[in-house]
Amino acid sequence: MTAIAKSDPRSKLLIAFGLSTLALVFNDLLSLTALFFMGILLNMAMKAELLQIAVRIRKFLFLMFGIAVIQSVFSSAGEPILTIAGLTLIRDEGLIKALAYLIRLSTVVVSATILSTSTRRELVQGLVQLKCPYEIAFMVSVAIRFLPELRNELLDSMTALQLRGIDLQVLPIRKKLKIYQYILLPVLTNAILNARELSNAMEMRAFRAFSKRTDYHTLHMHKVDYVLLTVVFGAFTLLSIGRLWV
Amino acid sequence: MSAVIQFKNIAFTYTQDMPLFSAFSLTIEQAHITILRGENGSGKTTLTRLAMGMLKPLKGSIFLLGNDIASMQLGEIGQKVGYAFQSPEKQLFAATVYEEMTFPRLLLGHPEQEVFDRADQLLKQFDLQAYKEMYPRLLSFGEKRRLAIAAMLMNNPSYLILDEPTASLDDERVEVLSAVIEQQKKEKRGMLIVSHNEAFIRRHGDRIITLERGYVIDDSYR
Repeated sequence: MTAIAKSDPRSKLLIAFGLSTLALVFNDLLSLTALFFMGILLNMAMKAELLQIAVRIRKFLFLMFGIAVIQSVFSSAGEPILTIAGLTLIRDEGLIKALAYLIRLSTVVVSATILSTSTRRELVQGLVQLKCPYEIAFMVSVAIRFLPELRNELLDSMTALQLRGIDLQVLPIRKKLKIYQYILLPVLTNAILNARELSNAMEMRAFRAFSKRTDYHTLHMHKVDYVLLTVVFGAFTLLSIGRLWV
Repeated sequence: MSAVIQFKNIAFTYTQDMPLFSAFSLTIEQAHITILRGENGSGKTTLTRLAMGMLKPLKGSIFLLGNDIASMQLGEIGQKVGYAFQSPEKQLFAATVYEEMTFPRLLLGHPEQEVFDRADQLLKQFDLQAYKEMYPRLLSFGEKRRLAIAAMLMNNPSYLILDEPTASLDDERVEVLSAVIEQQKKEKRGMLIVSHNEAFIRRHGDRIITLERGYVIDDSYR
């Protein structure tokens, strides 16, 4: 288990890519469930902080659940399961579709959490050594770095706005929407200004001045990586072939 | 003399291994201009943020104008005490200077004419009338600072907290800011100011508190 936890970031990138791609390709509940549990097992083997991440993204998980319920209610195909006052609320096909949607998105989330077991720098290096152009790898790294900053900035703006004497709890919904407009304007302005500053700083440090880059820190695949990739991609292949027979 | 902020045995830390405040108590009176000074990392800004309810103490309680801030909403605190961030951009939201001054009061349903009259009066007092239709972020740093203070005065708060108001200002701009502070003092509005600027501290401070690593090492009245 410890050896898998220390596996090469390239192995993690390939597994996450394979897992999320198959989650989008597969439609049936059985294959999606198998993929989801594979993702959970891989997370456990790689010692990802799955529970902490789930707590952090709980609002997104609630949103996923809400969409699944709506999808189930608005599906008109299949046999009725729950009917209230002559109105069919849940049908079997709607329920299956909603479950499939929920498991598919959960698998994508679980595949992304595998990447959280490597540092941002390691992932960028992994992408580069997988022959991804450095500019793209760097852009991915910057995007990952900016997301928490954007979140903090939104929270700071919300605090500063409330300190202007605006009690959000007593405002009606129409005025609350107006408040969000006031918050988004400075946050977006800052994001654009930060992006411009970063781009200037990169130019100043001669980013892309030479076509070839050398790396001080390089990644090396070990035996455990080859075994892990063979087992995981073997399972993916078996699952794909199995679907053709079902 | 009535207390505006009371820290009672508070504990606070950003990282578990390095507590910033432990059993910290301090009372700040409303009538004075109190200056907080100290080296970087001594806890000056943290103390002001705790006083405004932006940070929560791990232990102890904080009273603002006699009310326990644990039971107050940020909006309620903001109506009673004005807070100017070290970086004024943080508290500028609107598309024009005039809208920046007026939108919170209008959103709260105050009569339009009353809000506009107050905004005009403050813009004149802070020498910002010429920029009424300008995007606030295009103002100079000193103008942004003045706008941020003017905007918080729209609520007519009884006390002001200014975090490093002289930072990044040249002598001329510090002079303009000093005039604003003196005007507020004439209006009997007390202030807590975080500052490193010795001349500014000597000029305005009625009480000067020096912090070092979360402890008061000097507290003197003039």
